[in-house]
Amino acid sequence: MIKMYGIFKHFQDNEVLKEINMEVANREIVAVLGPSGSGKSTLLRCINGLEEISSGRMDVNGIMVDAAAPKKTRQKNVQAIRLQTGMVFQQFNLYPHKTVIDNVIEALITVKKTPKEKAVQKGETLLKRVGLMDKRNVYPSRLSGGQQQRVAIARALAMEPAIMLFDEPTSALDPELVGEVLSVMRELANEGMTMMIVTHEMKFAREVADRILFMADGRIVEDAAPAQFFSSPQSERAKKFLHQVMDN
Amino acid sequence: MELIIENLPFLLKGAYYTLLITVVSMFFGLIIGIITAIARLKGNRFFQGIARVYVSIIRGTPPLVQIVIVYYGLVDYGITLGPLTAAYIALSINIGAYVSETFRGAIQAIPKGQTEAAIATGMTEWQAMKRIILPQAVRVAIPPLGNTFIGMLKETSLVSVITVTELLRSAQLLVAQYYVYMPFYLAIAVMYWIMSTAFSMILNKVEKRLSIY
Repeated sequence: MIKMYGIFKHFQDNEVLKEINMEVANREIVAVLGPSGSGKSTLLRCINGLEEISSGRMDVNGIMVDAAAPKKTRQKNVQAIRLQTGMVFQQFNLYPHKTVIDNVIEALITVKKTPKEKAVQKGETLLKRVGLMDKRNVYPSRLSGGQQQRVAIARALAMEPAIMLFDEPTSALDPELVGEVLSVMRELANEGMTMMIVTHEMKFAREVADRILFMADGRIVEDAAPAQFFSSPQSERAKKFLHQVMDN
Repeated sequence: MELIIENLPFLLKGAYYTLLITVVSMFFGLIIGIITAIARLKGNRFFQGIARVYVSIIRGTPPLVQIVIVYYGLVDYGITLGPLTAAYIALSINIGAYVSETFRGAIQAIPKGQTEAAIATGMTEWQAMKRIILPQAVRVAIPPLGNTFIGMLKETSLVSVITVTELLRSAQLLVAQYYVYMPFYLAIAVMYWIMSTAFSMILNKVEKRLSIY
C-alpha cells in the first residue's frame, strides 16, 4: 500500500528524514512513535505531499513519486495520491466558515463534482457513523475538540480514501475527550482501513496497531510488532523513550 | 440657508456623483486588489514583481497626480477620456493598491492548516484559495476595507479638478454664482459626514452578519 525507498527530507540545512525505508501493507495499522522532533509528522506529511521529499522515491497505492522526476510529473502524482489518502490533523483544521455538514461534503462537491443531494446523503451517513448527526448544521466553533476531530475524520472519509493518515489526532485534546476520538479510530481499524497513526497514546498503539515504527533523529530505529516493541525494545533509544513515557 | 434649500437639488446631484464614483471605484478596486494580492502571494516571480511595483508606485505618489496623469497626461498619447471615465480609472487603480495590501494581510492571517486541510482532500491550491481561504480572509478584511471605503468617499473630492461635478465642484460652482462661501461649503461638509456615517453603519451590519461563526 505504501512503500518508501531511501527517502530523505531536509529543510534548508536541517535533515529531518534520513534514509527512510518502510512498507505498509493493505489493511495494516501502523503506529509511528518517537520523541518530538524525530520526524514522525514529517514522514506522514511526505506521504500525501504536504512536504516535498528531497530525495528517494515512494509508491502509494500504486502511484509512484520520485524526487528525481520532473516537477510536473511529481505534482500530478502527488495530486493523485491525495485522492487516495485522507488526513486528520492535530489541530483539526475544520473550515470555520462552514457548517459541520458543509465541512464534510466540501471536497465531494469541489473535487469529485458529486451532485449536492448525493453528497449530503453521504455526509449524513458519515456524521451518523461518528455520532454527530445532531450537530449537522452547527459551526465548528460550537463543538468540543473531540467533536471537531470526529467531524475532521468524517471529512477525510467522505473522499473514500484507501489509506488514512493520522497526525497526532488526540494531542490537542483535553484528556477526557481523547476516548471518543480513539473509539472512532478503533472502529475504522476494525472495518479494515489501512491506517498510519502518529501518536503519543501508547495504550492505543499497543491495542490497535499491527506494527510499531519507532523513530528517532529522522530514522526508523525499530520496526516491530507491538507486543515485542513494548515488552522488549531492542535499541537504547526505544528503551529510554518507553521508560520516559511509561513513567507519566 | 435659503440659498442651500433653493440649490439643494443641484447639491444632491453632486452627492449622487460622489457616491457613484465611490461605489464604482471601490468595486473595480476590490477586483484589482484581490488579483494583486493573490499575484503577490502565489504568483511566479514575474507577477509578484509587477504587483509589487504597482503597489509601490501608487502608494508612493499623490492621488491628485495620478488623476491628472490619467485625464490630462494620456491625451499626449492620443487617449482622450471623459472626466468621469478618467475618475473611475484613476481611483480604481489607486484604491486597488490599498485594497491589495489589506487583502494580502488578511490572507496571511488565515492559518496554514486551512490550506493544508483543503489540499489534503484533493483540492487544488486555487480551489483552496477560492473556497476556503478567501471567504475567511474577506471577513478579516472587512473592518480595514470599511476605512478604505470611507477614505475613498472623501478622496473623490479630488476629481473636481478634472471637472467632474461631484459634491465639492457643485459647491464651487454655486460659490462662483452667489459669491458666498460658507453656507455651501458647510452644507457639503455635512453631506460628506452623513454619507460617511451611513457607510460606517452599513459596514457594521455587514460585519455582524458575516461573523456568525
